[in-house]
Amino acid sequence: MKILVPVKRVIDYNVRPRVKADGSAVDLANVKMAMNPFDEIAVEEAMRLKEAGIATEVVVVSCGLPACQETLRTALALGADRAILVETDVELQPLAVAKLLKALAVQEAPQLVILGKQAIDDDSSQTGQMLAALMGWPQAVFASKVTVVDGKAKVAREVDGGTETLEVSLPAVVTTDLRLNEPRYATLPNIMKAKKKPLVTVKPADLGVDVAPRLATLKVAEPAKRKAGAMVADVAALVDKLKNEAKVI
Amino acid sequence: MSNYAAPIRDMQFVMKELAGLDRVAALPGYEEASPDLVDAILEEAGKFAGGVLAPLNFSGDQEGSRWQDGAVTTPAGFKDAYQQFVDNGWPALACDPEYGGQGLPRLVSMVVREMWKASNMAFSLCPMLTQGAIEALALAGSDELKQTFLPNMVSGHWTGTMNLTEPGAGSDLAAVRSRAEPQADGTYKIFGQKIFITWGEHDVAENIVHLVLARTPTAPAGVKGISLFVVPKFMVNADGGLGERNDAWCASIEHKLGIHASPTAVMVFGDHGGATGYLVGEENRGLEYMFIMMNEARIAVGLEGVAISDRAYQQALAYAKDRIQGKDMRVRGGGDVPIIRHPDVRRMLMMMKSQIEAMRALAYVVASALDHAHASPDANDRARNQAFSDLMIPVVKGWCTENANDITSLGVQVHGGMGFIEETGAAQHYRDARITAIYEGTTGIQALDLIGRKIARENGATVKAVIAEMSALDAKLAAQEGADFATIRKALAEGVAAVSACVDFILANFAKEAALVAAGSVPFLKLMGVVSGGWQMARAALAADALLKEGSGDPAFYRAKIATSRFYADHVMPQAAGLARTMLEGGESVLALEEAQF
Amino acid sequence: MAILLIAEHDNARLKAATLNTLTAAAKIGGDIHVLVAGSGCGPAADAAARLAGVAKVLVADAAHYGDQLAENLAALVVATAQAGGYSHVLAAASSQGKNFMPRVAALLDVAQVSDIVAVESADTFVRPIYAGNILATVKSADAVKVITVRPTGFDAAGEGGSAPVEALAAGPDLGISKVVSRELTVSARPELGAAKVVVSGGRGLGSGENYHKLLEPLADKLGAALGASRAAVDAGFVPNDYQVGQTGKIVAPQLYIAVGISGAIQHLAGMKESKVIVAINKDPEAPIFQVADYGLVADLFTAIPELTAAL
Repeated sequence: MKILVPVKRVIDYNVRPRVKADGSAVDLANVKMAMNPFDEIAVEEAMRLKEAGIATEVVVVSCGLPACQETLRTALALGADRAILVETDVELQPLAVAKLLKALAVQEAPQLVILGKQAIDDDSSQTGQMLAALMGWPQAVFASKVTVVDGKAKVAREVDGGTETLEVSLPAVVTTDLRLNEPRYATLPNIMKAKKKPLVTVKPADLGVDVAPRLATLKVAEPAKRKAGAMVADVAALVDKLKNEAKVI
Repeated sequence: MSNYAAPIRDMQFVMKELAGLDRVAALPGYEEASPDLVDAILEEAGKFAGGVLAPLNFSGDQEGSRWQDGAVTTPAGFKDAYQQFVDNGWPALACDPEYGGQGLPRLVSMVVREMWKASNMAFSLCPMLTQGAIEALALAGSDELKQTFLPNMVSGHWTGTMNLTEPGAGSDLAAVRSRAEPQADGTYKIFGQKIFITWGEHDVAENIVHLVLARTPTAPAGVKGISLFVVPKFMVNADGGLGERNDAWCASIEHKLGIHASPTAVMVFGDHGGATGYLVGEENRGLEYMFIMMNEARIAVGLEGVAISDRAYQQALAYAKDRIQGKDMRVRGGGDVPIIRHPDVRRMLMMMKSQIEAMRALAYVVASALDHAHASPDANDRARNQAFSDLMIPVVKGWCTENANDITSLGVQVHGGMGFIEETGAAQHYRDARITAIYEGTTGIQALDLIGRKIARENGATVKAVIAEMSALDAKLAAQEGADFATIRKALAEGVAAVSACVDFILANFAKEAALVAAGSVPFLKLMGVVSGGWQMARAALAADALLKEGSGDPAFYRAKIATSRFYADHVMPQAAGLARTMLEGGESVLALEEAQF
Repeated sequence: MAILLIAEHDNARLKAATLNTLTAAAKIGGDIHVLVAGSGCGPAADAAARLAGVAKVLVADAAHYGDQLAENLAALVVATAQAGGYSHVLAAASSQGKNFMPRVAALLDVAQVSDIVAVESADTFVRPIYAGNILATVKSADAVKVITVRPTGFDAAGEGGSAPVEALAAGPDLGISKVVSRELTVSARPELGAAKVVVSGGRGLGSGENYHKLLEPLADKLGAALGASRAAVDAGFVPNDYQVGQTGKIVAPQLYIAVGISGAIQHLAGMKESKVIVAINKDPEAPIFQVADYGLVADLFTAIPELTAAL
């Protein structure tokens, strides 16, 4: 079976984002970019399913600027077989990405689409669910364990207060939580091979998708900084402050 | 404890703008090294260094390698990390494709090795020594030896060591006493004791391939009577599998100032009837092979100076941004600020940053020259690049490692009292850096090599060509506008004049008064380093300015590069005049006292 | 203008997050209808009817809503939203709301505004991005606004209403997914996301045994929920659902006590909205002190028993 893994290029998670001086957007100029960490987990899970003999092909997709090619090459270096870039300079929002992915899912007919539960830039946590809805497929989001048996996926997912295990028919969409796996590091031979693996570029118009944004960002700002408070000398002083100053106990 | 993030942006800048990655990639055999592949390699190697190796650096130092009954246990996590290092194919990066290597240029290998060394210097020594052993075998070993050992060494499944030093033979290897007795089957029995054997015994790989210097019974005395042997820890069967344990044992490991995770072994050969060894190349030519190999080992240790300095810098910088203490002198009535706002803390950080960038630039430029020396289709080009790297290797080794001692010391200083506390981690870099100026030839040995073999012996031909190249930059700097470039130009001109005067002094005096010249050889080596670094920083400023004008890339990075180059001109280049004076006038006072007067 | 609010509940009771979501809905303005979909969910619907500001409660009671499966729930919400001509559809940004709401938005062909922490107007909202390092003000151009609400951004609504309860015909059972099992952490303590007091432990505790031995008595005294840093979870001291931070729960209690937590950015992202933060750590340099209202540099192995005894 084929697995489609959408990956997003985002600000490297080690980099603290900064707001542009005019407050219109986050400043992305010359900032180190990397694959969304949850998507790395998605690539890893797809690779493990392939290595286990369950998947036969892993196709990675990224939507956005030409530079997303780097993210795709990273995924290819982790072992994915081929890549598709949906190239556009329009700001893509989750619904638009879900529609692009739907068009590709129709073309590619994967049995599983695995993607991160959210991107660490906009933190929307929507794309996987939206794709599942548009395809009329079941979904298993925030996955912490995935097993595929007899045309069904059994997925343990992280929910408030514990874990829930779902059984979904295939094809289906799975989104990854942090504890699903620990992504591997690319091997040198695979990094070198990645350069030669196929990467095709399409445009949203080729897929017949209108990607115009639906949400307008009016402004972005850093939240008010919390001021450091006082140091207390000992436990007695702490209890006194909590009782008499903060009045929280 | 600190994180390590590979300084990929500076690495790329130096590779592309100063070390001519495009020209290296144009050499026959290096076509693979396209910019996008190199970027991907740097990115992924950086992740591995930061994610796998760096987290073991502090714990490895605390725990250290342990010896018991001849076996060495490396610190927790090292064995797994090494396995991952091998599984991910990193050992093979620059090796010959014939034996499973990826055949990438030295320049690329240099950058990746900087990451291993910076993230975990003690760990990095294991692949570094293996690399050295691979090069020695590839250089002089028979086909049979190569087929037997190289594939598993290239993959990293077996590691390699260099057994040179003996209790009575350190810097002077002519004193080697280990014996090699020829056997009827063409092998030799090796007897003797070797010390300071880096990663001589460990638990991270299944076999260890020792390269051992020893004398055959008929060998002449001195350096011309030393041969090189391969002595595996486990014998290799005809089918390539591992056989009997060889008579090569680790008697103990050293308790050291730094690199605690790297086991430094005392090796005993032949205590139980003789260790089986195979001759590498011809008898009595061992030292010659070693020196060819050692050239590359020396630049690798110089790079270690860059790497450990960068790790110390990253840690100091993070602390300086984090630590709140004192007021900003420029703000009246302001609150407490991070210490990076204090002028002297900034000065220390700039001293670290500017010298690291200069050292990195020089090391990569020399690595690039080595690639041309090996792979250029033009014999003249090969010779010119070989001469340039031969001249510069003692400078890279000596200057970068001496600087590493100063820079890691500054790293401690930035932390104030916390720097003196082991838990902070700054002290480890300081301790780890100390060995770099000692092993693979002390700074004194490098300086003698520089003035004697590399300058006086060829009557200064190469160094004069380098001086001419440095001087040629003057016109370009003169064409630039602004105070930064004016300062850089003046500092470089003064520095080049200082080098030039000292070279004249060496050439005039080496033959008749070698001791007088030798007395100033280390100051001269530092002078060469300071000025060569300034030369590279001037080139860097010009390249950054051109890219700024072109409007491509990251303007903040380029502006910082120019400002850093200016800082180097203001704060480091003035050392040149003092060092020159020391060499030109200071030799006599070095030699003045009778021993009894000390 | 009417708002459809999807209640989160366990059939017997409403989950606390529903009350915060109701406050957000009230700020948008307009009639608020609460949809309670479940199996045997009458008591939860009655509870919704008693909330102040609710105009109507819609109940869809069917076996196939018992597990709150996203596929079935989304189909019902879409049908209800379209039939009722609602301008807004709201749910809590809990693991449940995050699960089904994007399906609703996609099927309605509208964008979703995730995780809002403030309402500027009926079409403009504030939401955290980049793990809360940045707040974005976004305006929706869609006819229907599908919104998930971060509970910590809004106060809980109170009781005092008596809205009519209306039964709704159940939608189809799509049958493409089912719950095989649930392993919920059984705890007498308040739910982490809703607790007024949270006691959190980090790697400084050294072991899971120490975590329980030291922090449980303190949490018992304070009626607190227990949380943990990612480092403590990664070290295996406690399960992942204890995790407070960017990749775990976002909490904003009245009192947050961080014990042996250094204060990595990811952790701060999950608790910095707490009203009062107390940090206890032996390292005076720990970044947690920079956000703490009260900091105590002390060995937690003596300070915590002392604190527990003093309360």
